[in-house]
Amino acid sequence: MSASRYDAIIVGGGHNGLVTAAYLAMAGKKVLVLEKRHVLGGAAVTEEINPGFKYSVCSYVVSLLRPEIIRDLELPKHGLQILPLESTFTPLPNGDYLARWGDHDQTRREIYRHSPRDADAYDDFGKLMYQLAVAVKPILAMVPPDPTSMSPKDLMGFLRLGKHFRGLGHEQFHALHKLMTMSSADYLDEWFETEALKATMSSSGIIGTFLGPRSPGTAYVLLHHYMGEIDGAMRAWGFAKGGTGSVSESIASAARGHGAEIMTEAGVAEVTVKNGRTTGVVLDDGREYSSSVVVSGLDPKRTFLDLVDAKELPGDFVRDIERFKIRGSSGKVNLSLSELPNFTAKPGVGPLHKGAVSISPSIDYLERAYDEAKYGDFSSRPYMDIIMPSMIDAGMAPPGKHVMSIFVQYAPSDLRGGWNETKREAFGDAVVDTLAQYAPNLPDAILHRQVLTPWDIDRDMGLTDGNIFHGELSLHQLFCMRPTVGYADYTTPLRGYYQAGSGTHPGGGITGASGRLAALEILKGALR
Amino acid sequence: MSASYDTVVIGAGHNGLVTAAYLAKAGQKVLVLEQREVVGGAAATEEIFPGFKVDTGAHRIGGLSGAVVKDLALAGHGLELLEAEVTAFLPVIEGTPLTLWRDPRKTADAIRKISPPDADAWVPFTELVGKAASFLEAAWTSTPPDVTGTDLGDLMATAKLGMKLRRFGKRDMVEIMRILPMSVYELLGDWFESDLVKGAIAASAVSGLCQGPMGAGTVYTLLHHHVGAGQGVIRPTRRVRGGIGRLSEALAAACKAAGVEVRTGASVERIMVEGRTAVGVVVDGAEVRAQRVVSSADPRRTFFELMDPTEMAPEFARKVGNIRYRGVCAKVHLALSGLPDFACRPGEGNHLAGVISISPSLEYIERAFDAAKYGRVSERPYLEVSIASLADPSVTPNGKHLMSIVFQYAPYALQDGEWDDAARAKLGDVAIETLAEYAPNVASLVEAQHVLTPLDLEREYGLAEGNVYHGEMTLDQLLFMRPVPGASRYRAPTAGLYLCGAGTHPGGGVTGVPGFNAAREILKD
Repeated sequence: MSASRYDAIIVGGGHNGLVTAAYLAMAGKKVLVLEKRHVLGGAAVTEEINPGFKYSVCSYVVSLLRPEIIRDLELPKHGLQILPLESTFTPLPNGDYLARWGDHDQTRREIYRHSPRDADAYDDFGKLMYQLAVAVKPILAMVPPDPTSMSPKDLMGFLRLGKHFRGLGHEQFHALHKLMTMSSADYLDEWFETEALKATMSSSGIIGTFLGPRSPGTAYVLLHHYMGEIDGAMRAWGFAKGGTGSVSESIASAARGHGAEIMTEAGVAEVTVKNGRTTGVVLDDGREYSSSVVVSGLDPKRTFLDLVDAKELPGDFVRDIERFKIRGSSGKVNLSLSELPNFTAKPGVGPLHKGAVSISPSIDYLERAYDEAKYGDFSSRPYMDIIMPSMIDAGMAPPGKHVMSIFVQYAPSDLRGGWNETKREAFGDAVVDTLAQYAPNLPDAILHRQVLTPWDIDRDMGLTDGNIFHGELSLHQLFCMRPTVGYADYTTPLRGYYQAGSGTHPGGGITGASGRLAALEILKGALR
Repeated sequence: MSASYDTVVIGAGHNGLVTAAYLAKAGQKVLVLEQREVVGGAAATEEIFPGFKVDTGAHRIGGLSGAVVKDLALAGHGLELLEAEVTAFLPVIEGTPLTLWRDPRKTADAIRKISPPDADAWVPFTELVGKAASFLEAAWTSTPPDVTGTDLGDLMATAKLGMKLRRFGKRDMVEIMRILPMSVYELLGDWFESDLVKGAIAASAVSGLCQGPMGAGTVYTLLHHHVGAGQGVIRPTRRVRGGIGRLSEALAAACKAAGVEVRTGASVERIMVEGRTAVGVVVDGAEVRAQRVVSSADPRRTFFELMDPTEMAPEFARKVGNIRYRGVCAKVHLALSGLPDFACRPGEGNHLAGVISISPSLEYIERAFDAAKYGRVSERPYLEVSIASLADPSVTPNGKHLMSIVFQYAPYALQDGEWDDAARAKLGDVAIETLAEYAPNVASLVEAQHVLTPLDLEREYGLAEGNVYHGEMTLDQLLFMRPVPGASRYRAPTAGLYLCGAGTHPGGGVTGVPGFNAAREILKD
């Protein structure tokens, strides 16, 4: 047993865990972070799996990282540099394409080429989304109150929330209600007619969900696209120089700067509990560390069903966590390339290669991809969101060579008959075949291929069922219900045990918001 | 110029009649104008085949308001409700079929043959549905509050609903909040393992909806169909003796008793608006003036066909234009020489007395829905089959039987082709083929067949896009969003114009609640 005692132990060195560590350390607490893998970041890592080629293995874009975290932790000083990712290029099966460029007028002309009506609607839509993003922001930044509690703190929370909604006025409130409950396809149908535009926009509503664009509840995530903040400027997506791992590295560096101790290859086997209160952790190798505060950055299933003995928790709570929905639906393919893809729709190397490429030609296309997954197969013609990091940051690949990051949907975690190596490669083949329809030179340019299915993401990254958001972002799992009512304030039924991962409000994406809010609650609670 | 009235009601659907009766009882002079020759709208019984009294639209009633039945003395006007001990029968091609009973313990016993854990879960599940539906019922009868407003009455109403929820106790309150926005697929995954049990329940959740059971919000529709069902009852099946048209006739009789004038075969051409106020209607070329106009037609018809878009704010017109209808139900009526004989449960018996639900699994329903997403008719549809002649021999000639089938999914907008005679006949064949997989003798029993496609429902009953609920029952089109914000409290933006149809809160089904609520609001003004 280690003699050193810590004020808090953080289980999991994912970006949220690191944010919590940094905030606690900044407040003068003695903090220990324990990460199972050899590299920090969880799903936000850069790894050189093929020598010379750097992959942002899982998460690949940054947009939602809270600006207050960037400021508070002085992340740019610790190496964070976000490069803009401005355009989205959607090649179409008929040889045409739809592009949205960084330049507003250019985008407008391009949309006008497809539909003059849509070009007008695009600006109005953007304005409304911007307003709604502003309206939602304060909610994302608040600790959800408990609807069953009569405590003044919780009642005040709801009062504040009520006031906020009332303050929005009719129009915005109703628009927000529609956004929260509609399908992205229906929502966009009210505005646009161009299939490729609707499909590409709706794709941001389905990322990470086990839903199709026609499923109610997908419209809400459209907002995220407008909530991206880079140094305070809304609406832009970015790529972290050095890959997504550098986001984690910079947070870790900030945490260390404030005195936090961070250990890798230190997997936690168990959180120890005595008399309803946490006493520390036991590692896989038997080492023990004691602390009266333990914070889990893992998803709710692992946090409560794996790390803790179920009999230490109330039965109702365990049942709530057991039925918390966490199906995984996405995979990732990372490629090392000898040359850039040459798109039939727009031949040659151009600005499109510096932005995102979206394989989302129509709503029906996305919906069909979803249909296959509903019944347990991976999509034979999947939705893909592609970037070529080496075109944004030359350091990601050797000179003249390139890396390509492909986010793929749908790959169900509960694949019929289960995942294995053969099916993983078949999934990788479906991705390459689909892409080759738009860029025929691609298959021959591949030097190395890494395929991650939900099965791999679960096993390697520790995300249950490979769900990239630590739990589905559906209405009944948001805000005061994330992960379950009564424990949406980062506390748990065990005293001293906290949760800080994406399975808590506001969840999902590299936001750091959960980690920060958890730290602030801990500083008001156990470490006051 | 004709006589003037306090109120003219457009449409003698059941909601229009309910509103008219209440207003007349309060002393108003009321005229109801119905385009068809019979009252009832989509709650009508018609002799399509000689001697067969067919419920051509709805064939069972949902959460019919007890207050309406009592206040309007409908029993005295001839309404008699029939309720079978069996609510639904779920045939299967292979394996053990399932019968759902009004008594949940009997159902649990039936499920035990299929899955013991599901049998154990059944009664607690029905209790949850019962509690959640009773919460919904409280919301049904109150006018949707203006959430962003400051009206004290509204705040009180919202607070009352909140208190109702709290009274269930912490655990149930949280559970009801949690399940309301869910998909029925997710909910059933929490409770059951058997495909058949899930299919039995999920079918009710998608009824009339252009969504599959995997669509979010389908738990809400499940609960909607269980309001007033009675404790422990899943898939309530209540019919009206003599056909559902008898309900409409009883309502018409109650109207007449209260002094309402009901005119059938009277087609309203437009709502007259003078100085931004509705002052009457034009019916068959003649003006009928009234203090107020109440429309039980759906919002599209009310605002776009009976009015001119220039008579409303562009923003309002845009919202009305965005209402989704997407009818997905067709009706198939079969005159049968005998009863269907199900291979999985041969012979006659009370299993046929409720509805027969062709929904052997949740996946089956979802696949049926997939077709509709791409504008195709399901090759293997979800069918809700009702043999009215079993409980009520008065609806058919001696020894004959009548089968009424709700066929889902048949999308209003077809991707290829249109709803012509060939498509109509094909749909009837698919229904019979599907049924024959379970009851092979069906095809040989058919003496006559009649099909109503969504397009027929639109043309015949004035239901936009054939949507039986006057607008999709999805979370974004409910409560204060129904039919659109700004008209969700039964008042249109045009002064003197009110809405009382299923397009208003709480929505579709033969409930009478929109009509009841509308009358209350009108009498407040």
